[in-house]
Amino acid sequence: MSDQITTEAEKHSAKRGAKSKRPDSGDILNRELPSLVTPTVAAVMSAVIPGLGQMFARRVQRGVILLAGAASVIGMFVWRFRILGERAEVPGWPVFLRALDRRPWFVGFILVALVAIWILSAIDAHRTAQRPSRSGAGAFLAIIAALFVLGWQVSEIDVGTAIQRIPDALPPLARVIWPWEAAVEFEENEVGGTAQILVSPEGMIPPQVDPQPGEPGVTISPRQGTLASQNLDGNAGAIGNVPGTEVTVSGFGFEPSTTTEIRWIDQNGSIFPIRQGRDELIVETGADGTFSVIFTLPFPLIGADPEPSGTIHQVQARQVFTGEATASRALLIIISRMVETIVLGMMATLFGIIFSIPVSFLAARNIMSGSRISMAIYYLVRFTMNVIRSIEPLIWVLIATVWVGLGPFAGIIALTMHSIAALSKLYSEAIEGIDPGPIEAIQATGANRLQTIAYAIIPQMISPFVSFSIYRWDINVRMSTVIGLVGGGGVGFILVQYVRLLQYRQAGIAVWFIAITVALLDYVSAEIRNKLA
Amino acid sequence: MLEVKNLTKVYDDGTVALRNVSFTVDDGEFLVVIGLSGSGKSTLLRCINRLVEPTDGSIIWDGQDVTAADPPDLRNIRRKIGMIFQHFNLVKRSSVLTNVLSGRLGYVTPWASLLNRFPAADREAAAKALERVGLTEQTRKRASELSGGQQQRVGIARALMQEPSIILADEPVASLDPVLAHSILGNLERLNQEDDITIICSLHYLDLVQRYATRVIGLRDGELVYEGTRDEIRSMTDDQFKQIYGEEAERITAGSIGGEA
Ligand SMILES: Nc1ncnc2c1ncn2[C@@H]1O[C@H](COP(=O)(O)OP(=O)(O)O)[C@@H](O)[C@H]1O
Ligand SMILES: [Mg+2]
Repeated sequence: MSDQITTEAEKHSAKRGAKSKRPDSGDILNRELPSLVTPTVAAVMSAVIPGLGQMFARRVQRGVILLAGAASVIGMFVWRFRILGERAEVPGWPVFLRALDRRPWFVGFILVALVAIWILSAIDAHRTAQRPSRSGAGAFLAIIAALFVLGWQVSEIDVGTAIQRIPDALPPLARVIWPWEAAVEFEENEVGGTAQILVSPEGMIPPQVDPQPGEPGVTISPRQGTLASQNLDGNAGAIGNVPGTEVTVSGFGFEPSTTTEIRWIDQNGSIFPIRQGRDELIVETGADGTFSVIFTLPFPLIGADPEPSGTIHQVQARQVFTGEATASRALLIIISRMVETIVLGMMATLFGIIFSIPVSFLAARNIMSGSRISMAIYYLVRFTMNVIRSIEPLIWVLIATVWVGLGPFAGIIALTMHSIAALSKLYSEAIEGIDPGPIEAIQATGANRLQTIAYAIIPQMISPFVSFSIYRWDINVRMSTVIGLVGGGGVGFILVQYVRLLQYRQAGIAVWFIAITVALLDYVSAEIRNKLA
Repeated sequence: MLEVKNLTKVYDDGTVALRNVSFTVDDGEFLVVIGLSGSGKSTLLRCINRLVEPTDGSIIWDGQDVTAADPPDLRNIRRKIGMIFQHFNLVKRSSVLTNVLSGRLGYVTPWASLLNRFPAADREAAAKALERVGLTEQTRKRASELSGGQQQRVGIARALMQEPSIILADEPVASLDPVLAHSILGNLERLNQEDDITIICSLHYLDLVQRYATRVIGLRDGELVYEGTRDEIRSMTDDQFKQIYGEEAERITAGSIGGEA
């Protein structure tokens, strides 16, 4: 990433350098060539078309830049207008008025700036035609100011909304900042018992089963009944629900004074709460650990009417106690994804190292300067590596996901590509920086080729190689979190999912883990590199 | 005895570094090579152990043609010729001991040396060599932690490990101050007198040349322009000196620090 930034900066300084130089060389030429028109004519020309007067005053570059600047201000202005003045029925004036109505400051400023550009460029033309060396920068400043204001509008900067929305943003942000509630879950321990009831007209009535010693017991009476049903028999005229048999369920040996849920278990083992009206049936045990409750039998889940002979359902009473705190599922997932991320970075670094070592020799001038063919290979390898390096890892992920599908492997491919390019550059520079003295000295002792490599070359390369590799690992782990965002696997992948599902706490945990890992890695890699240096 | 016959070296870029140079060195001599920077001294020394491949001519050492030796023979020749350098050429990141032991690379079994295994006898010899140059204390240090004079003594110890018959020294004191220069050249003189090792050494300062040389040869633009005995060099006048070093040269002494390297 950092080499990217330097190249950007270099480009900029190169551009600036070029710009500041050209007008100077123009000056030198113009001092010998007088203006083609009088200052007044030049001013009038520029008052019609900005820059025209300057061109006729033989300062073509200045004129062209002014003209291009004014043209782009007008172009952008018209474009923004049509967007702002949208939905005005008639084109022309109404569009302008509507735009002025919606963004008076913006439109006003641009109009003032346009007038300023025209006036200033006319003044500039007058001066330029008179004494080329004394023309100022006023017209250019007006153009730059107009372009920045347009830029502000184009990029939809909206400070008002940002401030206005702060209160809405705070709660989710608070969850991201302190997400640890979602990091634990509490174990549920339950105690309970069941009793059986025959719910068909025929069949054997189930016996009363005594509980295991130490377990609570549940009884139901009567032990045969009919489930609630819907009477659809229109002829009988009684359309509606037929309630089930009223039963009494009692329990003993439960934890005293504790909430107890009563649930129904049908012949297929499906469990569902018993609803009395809207609420689920919940009772409180007495001081002696018993309870007794009366309710009517529920509707069957899938109803046959009447139930086949011998159908037995159960009633269950249970008490749930929160036990030990344990790591939540989300936490475990995030940790495993974090490990995946670190490993992803490691694998990409490993592959990067393996591939870039041979490549770095091909890209080292001192190794390849032997013949024309090797120099051709050198330039080719350098060029290829520069191209690969200039493609951001995020774009490599997109390429890799097309190739091998979403997931960590795509991330590894992306990071490996970028690592190869970055490492082979660093390695090859390390090789180019090798001191030939020790090589000569070891050869002079009668050492063979392998011994020379082992005693003179490797010791010189090991420290930069290790330090670059660790640095790269650091970068790769950091980048693999980002790469996950676009489908490259790892913790970034799951972070995006949590954010999309508005699970801010889980997202917060992921963010914390990323931050901690990156900070630790940063520290460790800096320490190791310091030790080696 | 080392015979150099009609030695010529033309580098790939066309530079003629040596032109038809012939001389002989008897066993036990302390031969000093003098000449301006660029006159071909380094090239000459490196041709003797073929770190630089001669273009023409031959080098015969005790009857064996060095210039015609195949790679295994060449390694056997090289291991009997120690070499020390102006910039010491130690492996800076390796320990002093490893640097000294690497003087044995021409003798030990290659695969063992790749694992940094050396026979016990070699380790003892390394300890002795370090003692001899006064660096026992520094054995475990990294070479880069040593001062210039100490590094050059490590270079001498490395050369000693080769049990050499000849030591080539390419401006061994040019990077050191005068006091250290005498200490290093004193070391070489002792090796020359006590161990009977032939020394071929290029030097810059006339007073050092006069103090240590048993014989002197002078190079100018790759040609041998002077040959003199110990006595001749001691009585050498500035005019003769200028002939070798060119008109513009002053008589440089070791007292002027930081002379041209
Ligand atoms: N590797 C090389 N390739 C081309 N020319 C070289 C090389 N090494 C030395 N030379 C040239 O050969 C000449 C002799 O150099 P050198 O032997 O280093 O002289 P000295 O050691 O006396 O300063 C110089 O002109 C130098 O530029
Ligand atoms: Mg030299």
